[in-house]
Amino acid sequence: MEGKTHISVRDLSVFYGGARVLNNISINIPDKKLTAIIGPSGCGKTTLLKSFNRIIDLQDGVRVSGQVLVDGEDIYDPKVEVTHLRKKMGLLLQRPQILPMSIYENVVYGPRIHGVKDKKKLDGTVQCYLKVSGLWNEVKDRLHSPASRLSIGQQQRLCLARGLAVEPEVILGDEPTSALDPISAERIEQRFLELKSQYTVVLVTHNLRQAKRLADYVIFLYLGDLIEHGTADQVLKNPRYLKTESYINGEFIEEPEIHRELNLKGTACSDYFERAKHTLEKIAHSQVLKVVVEHEQNAHEFEKTMIHKGHRVLEVKRINKTDWEMLIQKQNNVYTI
Amino acid sequence: MINKRKIEENIFRCFMMAATFVVVGTLAFILVTICIKGLPALSLDMLIKTPKGGYYIGKEGGILNAILGSIVLGIGATFLALIISLPLVFYLNLYVKKKSTFALLVRFFLDVLWGIPSIVYGAFGFTLMVFLGLRASLLAGIVTVALLIIPIMSRSMDEVLKLIPFELKEASFALGSTRLETAVKVIFRQALPGIVTATLIAFGRGIGDAAAVLFTASFTDSLPYSLFKPVATLPLAIFFQLGTPFPEVQERGYASALVLTGIIFLISIFARILSKKFSKRVIK
Repeated sequence: MEGKTHISVRDLSVFYGGARVLNNISINIPDKKLTAIIGPSGCGKTTLLKSFNRIIDLQDGVRVSGQVLVDGEDIYDPKVEVTHLRKKMGLLLQRPQILPMSIYENVVYGPRIHGVKDKKKLDGTVQCYLKVSGLWNEVKDRLHSPASRLSIGQQQRLCLARGLAVEPEVILGDEPTSALDPISAERIEQRFLELKSQYTVVLVTHNLRQAKRLADYVIFLYLGDLIEHGTADQVLKNPRYLKTESYINGEFIEEPEIHRELNLKGTACSDYFERAKHTLEKIAHSQVLKVVVEHEQNAHEFEKTMIHKGHRVLEVKRINKTDWEMLIQKQNNVYTI
Repeated sequence: MINKRKIEENIFRCFMMAATFVVVGTLAFILVTICIKGLPALSLDMLIKTPKGGYYIGKEGGILNAILGSIVLGIGATFLALIISLPLVFYLNLYVKKKSTFALLVRFFLDVLWGIPSIVYGAFGFTLMVFLGLRASLLAGIVTVALLIIPIMSRSMDEVLKLIPFELKEASFALGSTRLETAVKVIFRQALPGIVTATLIAFGRGIGDAAAVLFTASFTDSLPYSLFKPVATLPLAIFFQLGTPFPEVQERGYASALVLTGIIFLISIFARILSKKFSKRVIK
């Protein structure tokens, strides 16, 4: 990934009660780019998104381990001012959640609690961000009427304006178009395309076509594991791993059947390939070998070599702080060393 | 062939209609009774004069002392209960974990308090009064009635706050507000219709209670003028008037009951109007 990193996630695990929802996620979110988090329901997309502004703290029984660095600062540090952090992040929810006030008050709510009192400045803010969110022309004559009278698509654009009014650096969207009609959804998408040059945008989406249209960078999660991430082109058009491929093609994601396991922990790196070769000789073509190695670097090295040898790497994932698990499918005809 | 399910349906519907009729019928019956017995005795004098004529809560004059007393006491108690209930329910709903033992216990205690008969509050208020060296007074009445209606008020508000969507809190917090800002500026507004209703229900309950004020507020023929002097209330006026052996005074008792019912009726209507007014900006 090129460019500056804005949010850096390191070894992030999240537990709801006893259940682990995110498993050792490490990833960098690039600055002023649109990053889409995709994956099937219940894979932890929303949890990952909401861990960026610590909104998951609100849920009972949540435990977080690991780090999330925003502008180099660990936001889970007890010293961090949560209100200040959240001001940096505008959040758009699945269903637009307007505040029980007028349209005008909805937009100025954020600036007001952060200390802006000047009426003229607030008026300017309202006009500016309602224009950015494309709502100004529709509501300019009824700014002081209740926001609950707006249609749901308009409400979502109001939420966008409200989020932008606190002048955030990051916009987080949790499937912000899923409750909207196609035209409203398109309008919101249009806004995102305009905004991504000025803000870092992270978008959770179920909609692969939307991800294709909008994203520069894609993260694929499955059951709390980070399966694949990379530029949108690479992940969406040419996925490296089996689960990503199944998901993108709209197929069921199945765990491949494992025929042999090989634990290379504690083995010198130079012995890796010899031992892997022996084990691979014992299984037939297209059978799967599970390998556990230590350290990210070794994992990448091993993956590269296996691909070079003509085998197929089905999955590379982190299983705890140090260990990586890889699934390698043997390809017979090309195996030579 | 007779349709068994249809018969079943009809039997249960009759049962439900009967139950509804019992409730509505009782209300109608009460209203008719106090109207028939009380209307003839009800006069303008009753509403604008204090008791006269030598008798305790006499044949002449009116019950203005009790009307004003009840209203002052009711408003005082509701106000006191409100400034205790509001922080309590906001604490329970925004600061405490939802399923914590603490929240569970507080709600359980409130439910128990709700069930305690008002005479027990009266006795407790009396003990408290004696302990503090107070005499039967408006203040003591206000405190006791407030204690009586706090559980009612806070549990009703609690139910309203519980219904507020989690996403609304999330949206407010996501903009960087503190819990207090979220409570006061967002949740309060959303819950306002419910809070108003809860407050007025509690007021209605407080103004109509006799047992809690029996020992604590006592009774007087004069209008309420000091927090530290006894005050007359409508329920006690009714109690005393109906307890006399004189038919004229008993009739005036029914008239007093009519006035009290009228006040509660007005409050209910007022509650609906207010809550409708405040629900304009509320999110559905």
